[in-house]
Amino acid sequence: MTELIAQDVNVWFGQRHVLKDVNLLFPEREVTALIGPSGCGKSTFIRTLNRMHELIDSAGLAGRVLLDGTDIYDAGVDPVEVRLRVGMVFQKPNPFPTMSIKENVLSGLKLANRKNDDPNGLVETSLRRASMWSEVKDRLNDPALSLSGGQQQRLCIARSLAMDPDVLLMDEPCSALDPGSTRRIEETILELKEEMTIVIVTHNMQQAQRVASRTAFFLAEDGNPGQVVEFGDTEQVFNQPVDLRTNDYVNGHFG
Amino acid sequence: MEKVNPMQADPSPVARPKKAEPWKQVSISAVASIVLASTLPIGIGLLSMVLGLRFEIALLTVFLPTQLLLGVLAGRKISGRRGQADAILQVFVVFFAMTVVVLLVSVVWSVIERGSAALSWQFITQNNVYISGSTSLEYGGLGHAIIGTLLVVALSTIVTVPLGIATAIYLTETRGRTRSTIRTLIQALSGLPSVVAGLFIYAMFIASGLTQYVGWAGSLALIPLMLPTVTRVAEESLLLVPQELRNGALALGSSAWRAFYLVTMPAAKSGLITAILLGIARIIGETAPLLITTFAANNTNYNLFSGSIATLPTYLYTYIASNFDTAVQRAWGAALVILILVAILFIAARLLTRPKAAKKAGK
Repeated sequence: MTELIAQDVNVWFGQRHVLKDVNLLFPEREVTALIGPSGCGKSTFIRTLNRMHELIDSAGLAGRVLLDGTDIYDAGVDPVEVRLRVGMVFQKPNPFPTMSIKENVLSGLKLANRKNDDPNGLVETSLRRASMWSEVKDRLNDPALSLSGGQQQRLCIARSLAMDPDVLLMDEPCSALDPGSTRRIEETILELKEEMTIVIVTHNMQQAQRVASRTAFFLAEDGNPGQVVEFGDTEQVFNQPVDLRTNDYVNGHFG
Repeated sequence: MEKVNPMQADPSPVARPKKAEPWKQVSISAVASIVLASTLPIGIGLLSMVLGLRFEIALLTVFLPTQLLLGVLAGRKISGRRGQADAILQVFVVFFAMTVVVLLVSVVWSVIERGSAALSWQFITQNNVYISGSTSLEYGGLGHAIIGTLLVVALSTIVTVPLGIATAIYLTETRGRTRSTIRTLIQALSGLPSVVAGLFIYAMFIASGLTQYVGWAGSLALIPLMLPTVTRVAEESLLLVPQELRNGALALGSSAWRAFYLVTMPAAKSGLITAILLGIARIIGETAPLLITTFAANNTNYNLFSGSIATLPTYLYTYIASNFDTAVQRAWGAALVILILVAILFIAARLLTRPKAAKKAGK
């Protein structure tokens, strides 16, 4: 079980300051939602939590991200090790097109050069945890691209789960999916939170209320860097927000 | 609201009318003007030839203007100003496209026609020892040159493919500081005249007395010609792989190298194979750099590291300027053999890159 803490995280792209002084604590076994209008830096922020941020050319960062008390940006920390513990699901489903469904689930092991004694068992467990085992158990060797968009996204979740991460980051995992697939992924999230820390970026307020126990509202005003305007229990952020801007946003007055 | 039951057949289905494609209906007068506009110019052109005009002149001064005029009139009649502009474009596009097709076919046809006279089993297996320009076609051949070409090109390929693909990887997969410089240099290299590449190797290794004319010098001269093709095609095919796939791999805790090897490279496989084959096609017909590095030879030489070696282009070159008909026929035969080799390469490329798509379609 793992706790993730962001301390004074500031982000730049080139000289442009895009995130200012983000301080957030993601408790273990809880789902935290990051909401806010487009361009407020939610996706940028979530990518700082597993060091995917630094893959962008002009990226810059200050502050600390503590994973179980260790700063993942410490000089001695290998980003590959961080990403092994902090999994990520992207906005657009990105199964590996040259691999079958089964190979996709096992791709993490292969990519990280790890061995597993029972690969077939792992495939089944991972697909079950992503609640898609019954749909694909008879066609594990079909190409991953033969699946529907919603199934592809759940396959990507299964792929992350096969690595048994302590933290799962989800960057708008349902924005490309239909309501049915969205519901299934939300059910999956609620089951997974028993075992890991989950951070989810979403544009869907109902989704945040359905899955997240805590919510952070990001906002970037008039060309200023994005900041966390409000952070607390989801119930409170949506029903009794402290900040007027949060109130306007969650009630659909802007954004 | 009435519920629709998909299992139940519609009790009164509407049969598809004969003209269910309103967008395809054309009036008879329109058809007539199209037929007229596409046959009359040919007739007038032929007539002007009968009256004594040369073909080229009739084509450009009679046929093309009449065709333009009638096309415009027909287009205008059918769909007004839009049809008029459309007709002008269509006439020009079709005319020049046909010109290119005719040129291309005539080049290939002339090689096949004249080359096939020389082609025989003995021609592609025997070598050129004791053969001169006046020797009958029943003797000798270019087997030694086929072997030479394959050996020289193979050595170039073995060196260039890893180098070219590694360069493409550097350009697309890393954030190296010298990427733009390298890209510019590769572009510059693709403008390098092939004879200059040959002269460079000649000056460095042969004129300086380091070696005689030798196969490996030819391979060396072909490398700078092949490198830009391989690199640029490989780079383009790697750039086509979506960034999301690389991110997906890296987010799973993969090292950059394993992400490339297990995800990006398989996704770009067909493009990379194309890069290699286009590179080979680029150098297989090179003549000038080989003339001054491998020189020509009449005997079969399997050794790239000793003695001059014959290749198809140099074989062709030695016979083409001869006064003897048989010699010229040998040269045409060599041209045909080069064409066939390239065709085999491209067919192989298609077969190598197709299976995956075919498998998918079969499922």
